[in-house]
Amino acid sequence: MPAPAATYERIVYKNPSEHHYMKVCLEFQEHGVGLNVAQFKQLLISALKDLFGEVDAALPLDILTYEEETLSAILRICSSGLVRLWSSLTLLGSYKGKKCAFRVIQVSPFLLALSGNSRELVLD
Amino acid sequence: MVRFKHRYLLCEVVSDDPRCRLSLDDRVLGGLVRDTVARLHGTFGAAACSIGFAVRYLNAYTGIVLLRCRKEFYQLVWSALPFITHLESKGHRYPCFLNTLHVGGTIRTCQKFLIQYNRRQLLILLQNCTDEGEREAIQKSVTRSCLLEEEPGEEELSDEWMSLRVPDTSGRFVTSASTCPFISGWNAPIPPEFLTLDF
Repeated sequence: MPAPAATYERIVYKNPSEHHYMKVCLEFQEHGVGLNVAQFKQLLISALKDLFGEVDAALPLDILTYEEETLSAILRICSSGLVRLWSSLTLLGSYKGKKCAFRVIQVSPFLLALSGNSRELVLD
Repeated sequence: MVRFKHRYLLCEVVSDDPRCRLSLDDRVLGGLVRDTVARLHGTFGAAACSIGFAVRYLNAYTGIVLLRCRKEFYQLVWSALPFITHLESKGHRYPCFLNTLHVGGTIRTCQKFLIQYNRRQLLILLQNCTDEGEREAIQKSVTRSCLLEEEPGEEELSDEWMSLRVPDTSGRFVTSASTCPFISGWNAPIPPEFLTLDF
């Protein structure tokens, strides 16, 4: 008896997350420079506008947390804009004439992954 | 095979002011498009689009412009065209906009499209024109264009038009307003040479 024709259905569930989360830290060459959260966001948007123009300056970018003492923040960007944001942060050189640099500490499509960083793990 | 592929954007400059089309200059327009791409897409866009960018054909009577750009980045240029609002020349600002008619891979396909488009525009003009003298002139142009379609061997340009088409330093033909007599907008008979568009 011939075996019945195998019918199967393959369901592929790709779950590309819509947003990527970046933990960044801003370092200045000289000490004592402070930025509040609005100025920080203005800096990010001006970096995007410089490299990629008005279209990418309008990307939906959010600052989820910001610490003024350490100048570190967690950013959320839509996944299609991650490469652009990262490259514009890399090429940002100065803020109001003072030299600065962005250090990208962690990038992940899941926010939960940013809560623990194995690089900062301290073993007793 | 290995060659640089381009996209040719056929656009029409539309403006209320009749002086706007006459003051079209290929360098001014090229600079305007480059500035708009730089404003919209930043340093990256400006650099990407300006490598293979050129204004290949410009017609001051009908306001038809043919822009060339690389195939990888033609969408950056295309998306920047609606953001052009003013044409500045000799200190005057004319509000205008660029209407994209056709995107082609070669100049020849754009030329074929433009010939068909011009024929259709002539028929529309015939319907809309009010003056009897203009009506006769347009009818003559239409019949001449039909004749040219049947006998493709008779594409001789008259001496008058040959002298007005100035070859540029790069070898392309630019019919700029400075060399042609004033013709008000679309209401003049279009010589059949523009229907065949010899380069």
